[in-house]
Amino acid sequence: MLTRVKSAVANFMGGIMAGSSGSEHGSGGCGGSDLPLRFPYGRPEFLGLSQDEVECSADHIARPILILKETRRLPWATGYAEVINAGKSTHNEDQASCEVLTVKKKAGAITSTPNRNSAKRRSSLPNGEGLQLKENSESEGVSCHYWSLFDGHAGSGAAVVASRLLQHHITEQLQDIVEILKNSAVLPPACLGEEPDHTPSSSRTLTRAASLRGGVGAPGSPSTPPTRFFTEKKIPHECLVIGALESAFKEMDLQIERERSLYNISGGCTALTVVCLLGKLYVANAGDSRAIIIRNGEIIPMSSEFTPETERQRLQYLAFMQPHLLGNEFTHLEFPRRVQRKELGKKMLYRDFNMTGWAYKTIEDDDLKFPLIYGEGKKARVMATIGVTRGLGDHDLKVHDSNIYIKPFLSSAPEVRVYDLSKYEHGADDVLILATDGLWDVLSNEEVAEAITQFLPNCDPDDPHRYTLAAQDLVMRARGVLKDRGWRISNDRLGSGDDISLGQPLSGGHWQKTPQPTQLPTFLRVNSAALECWGSRLRRWTRPSSRSGSSHPRVLPVSTNQLALGAFLGRSNGNTKFCRTYLYVVLLS
Amino acid sequence: MAYAYLFKYIIIGDTGVGKSCLLLQFTDKRFQPVHDLTIGVEFGARMITIDGKQIKLQIWDTAGQESFRSITRSYYRGAAGALLVYDITSTRENTLKIVIGLSLMFRRDTFNHLTTWLEDARQHSNSNMVIMLIGNKSDLESRREVKKEEGEAFAREHGLIFMETSAKTASNVEEAFINTAKEIYEKIQEGVFDINNEANGIKIGPQHAATNATHAGSQGGQQAGGGCC
Repeated sequence: MLTRVKSAVANFMGGIMAGSSGSEHGSGGCGGSDLPLRFPYGRPEFLGLSQDEVECSADHIARPILILKETRRLPWATGYAEVINAGKSTHNEDQASCEVLTVKKKAGAITSTPNRNSAKRRSSLPNGEGLQLKENSESEGVSCHYWSLFDGHAGSGAAVVASRLLQHHITEQLQDIVEILKNSAVLPPACLGEEPDHTPSSSRTLTRAASLRGGVGAPGSPSTPPTRFFTEKKIPHECLVIGALESAFKEMDLQIERERSLYNISGGCTALTVVCLLGKLYVANAGDSRAIIIRNGEIIPMSSEFTPETERQRLQYLAFMQPHLLGNEFTHLEFPRRVQRKELGKKMLYRDFNMTGWAYKTIEDDDLKFPLIYGEGKKARVMATIGVTRGLGDHDLKVHDSNIYIKPFLSSAPEVRVYDLSKYEHGADDVLILATDGLWDVLSNEEVAEAITQFLPNCDPDDPHRYTLAAQDLVMRARGVLKDRGWRISNDRLGSGDDISLGQPLSGGHWQKTPQPTQLPTFLRVNSAALECWGSRLRRWTRPSSRSGSSHPRVLPVSTNQLALGAFLGRSNGNTKFCRTYLYVVLLS
Repeated sequence: MAYAYLFKYIIIGDTGVGKSCLLLQFTDKRFQPVHDLTIGVEFGARMITIDGKQIKLQIWDTAGQESFRSITRSYYRGAAGALLVYDITSTRENTLKIVIGLSLMFRRDTFNHLTTWLEDARQHSNSNMVIMLIGNKSDLESRREVKKEEGEAFAREHGLIFMETSAKTASNVEEAFINTAKEIYEKIQEGVFDINNEANGIKIGPQHAATNATHAGSQGGQQAGGGCC
C-alpha cells in the first residue's frame, strides 16, 4: 500500500524515484548547490506577482507588506498579508498556498484497491441495488479547501517545494478513503474487502448482539462476514482524515529526502495546514506556526508549537535510547545551567526524559558535555542548532563543524486538531487565523484577537478584501515601524524582524455549494516577520464601497485625523449573505 | 535585464488623484478609467535611458486614503524619488460637495493637503530624496480648480520640481518620471548620493558593481564611462 502510494505520487508529480536515496552525502546541504532547483523561488502563487514585484517585495529597508491584489480572490474570501524579515535572509523564506482540491476516487482499471474490487463484486449481487447507486455517486469528487503556511529556515528550497506539492500528497491520501468518508452513515470498515456492516452506527448494539448469535444482518447474502467473537474498535471518519494528513506529511518529507539527490532543495520548513472537508476543519501543524479561531471574541487555539522546550521529553528519550545520535558530544540530560568541570562530584539539579520536575544527581564526566537541549524560549536549540523540532526537510542539516545529523531528532508528524463547523454559529467577524512565528513572537493570542475584534466590525462586511485588510493590519502591528533602534511596535516593544505570513478566512456563505445553516469562519493569513502597532489611535477603516458596487455611502477622508462619516452602516448579522471568514497568519523566520 | 542603476520611487498623494493611473500609463502605456482603490502598496517597474545608461525605475504606488497613512509612511524610507500628486480638479470632492452641499470645504482639497504630504515625506525619507510635484488630470481643463501658477508657486516655495500631467492622455507622464530620474542622476554625478547605501533608494546594476566599487563614494563624474555594456 505504501509502495503504491509512493509510486503514484512520484508519477503524478513527474518526480523521479531516486534509486540511491539511501546513500549518505557526506558533503551535506551545500553539496546540492550544483543541482537545479526543484522549483524556482517566488512568492506564493496566489499572489500572482511578476518578477519585478517579487524583487520589490524583498526590500529589507522599507519592508513592504504584500497583500492579495484587488483583482484576486481566494476561496472563502481568505485574506492574506506578508512581510519580509528585517535582513536575516535575502529572501522571505515563508511560503503559503491556498487551493480548492477535488478528491475523487481514482478511476481506471489499474486501481486494484481492495475497496474497488469489493464494490464491484457487491454490486453484482442480487441485493446490490443500493450499492449500485452508491457506485454512481462515486464519480463525483468531494471538494475540499486547503490552506497552508510554511516557514523556511536555512534556505527557501524545502518551503517552496512543500508549498507546491503537499496538497498533492494530501489529495493522494484522501483519494483512498473518499468513498468511505462520503458514506457517513456507516463507520469505516476495519478491513477493506469484507462485507461492510450495513447497520447504521446507531443500532450497533443490536448488530453486535446479532453477530454474537452468529447470524448476521443480510440474510441470504453469500458473502456473510465471518462471525467475530472479539470486540472491535470503532474508528470514526474524522480519524481517517487525520491519518491521511499525517501520512501526507510523511510522504512529503520522504519525497524531499529522495529528490535532494537530483535537485537543490535547501533547508527545511515548518508546515501549518488547514483542510476543510465535509463540514469539518482539520488543522495540521508541524512546527512553531500557530492557528487560532476567534469566535465571538473568544480565542480557540487550534494548534500547539513544537519546539525544543515543548518536545524536550521526546528528544531526551530518543537520545537515551539511541545515544550514538549524540556523537559523543552531547548529553541528553538537562541541567539548570552549564555544568563546570570543577563541579564534578557535587550534586546538581537535573531532569531526564521521564521527568517534568527536577532532582539532584552527582555530576559525572558525561554531564560536562553540551546539553542536547540548551537555551530558553525562542533561543532554545536542539544540539545548539535548531529551534523548531517538527517540519519538513533538513535532511542534510548537521551540527556545526561535525558529522552529527539533526534530522533524527526532527519529526515530520503533525498534530491534527478538528473543528466541527456545523456545531457553532459563525458570524462575519469570526475568523481562523494562521500565522508563522514572526507574528506570534511579538503578539499574544489576546492581542491578535483584540486587534481583529476592533478592526473587522469597522470594515464593510461586503468588502471582498476585508480579511486581507485585517491581515495587513495585523502584519503592520507585528512589523512595527522603523525607529532609531530598529523596528518597534506599540509601547516601544521590539517588532518582529522575522518573515511574517498571515491568512484569514471569514465566515458565512455557501459551503460546498450547499446552503449552510451556520456561517463559517474565515481565513486570514499573515505571512511575514514583523508587525507593528500604532498605539492607541483607533483606526477606522472606512472604505468607499464603489468597488463592490453596493450602495453604501461613500466616505471621504477629510483631514488627517478623522475619517469621514460612518462608512458602512453595519448590517445586522442576520440578513447578510453568509460568507466564510478564515484568518490565516503565516510567519517565516 | 541589466541596468546601470536602479532608482526606487514612491508615488504619494490623496486618494483618487490618479496615482495608480499615472503608474499604469508609465509602465503599460494605457489608461484605465475605473481603478480599484489601492489598499496597500503596489509595484511597477520600467527601464529608461539617461545619458546613454539603462536605468531601472522601481515604483511603489501607495494607498492615498487616510486610513492607510501609517502604512504608506513606512514606505518612504529607501526611496530616491517621490512623485507627490494632486488633482487639479479635485473631482472627487466636487461630486461630493454637491451632494452634501459643502462646496467650500472640499474645494481644492487635494491641493490643500500637499503640505501635510510634504511634511510626511520630509520627515520619513532621506533628506536627498527628489520630490516631483504633479498636478494630474490636466485634460479636464474645464473643471480646473487649481491654476498651474499655484502649483508652480508651491513647488518653488518648497524646492520641488513641478509638472502638470494627464494620465488619461499620457501628456507629460513620461517626462514626469524621466525628469525625476534625471535629477537623481545629476545628484549622483555631483556625489550627493552615497550610491553604496541602499537606504538612499539607489542600487548599482550588476554589471556596474565591479567598476563602480573602486569609485565608491568618490566624486563619480566620469564613472562607468558608459562603455562597459
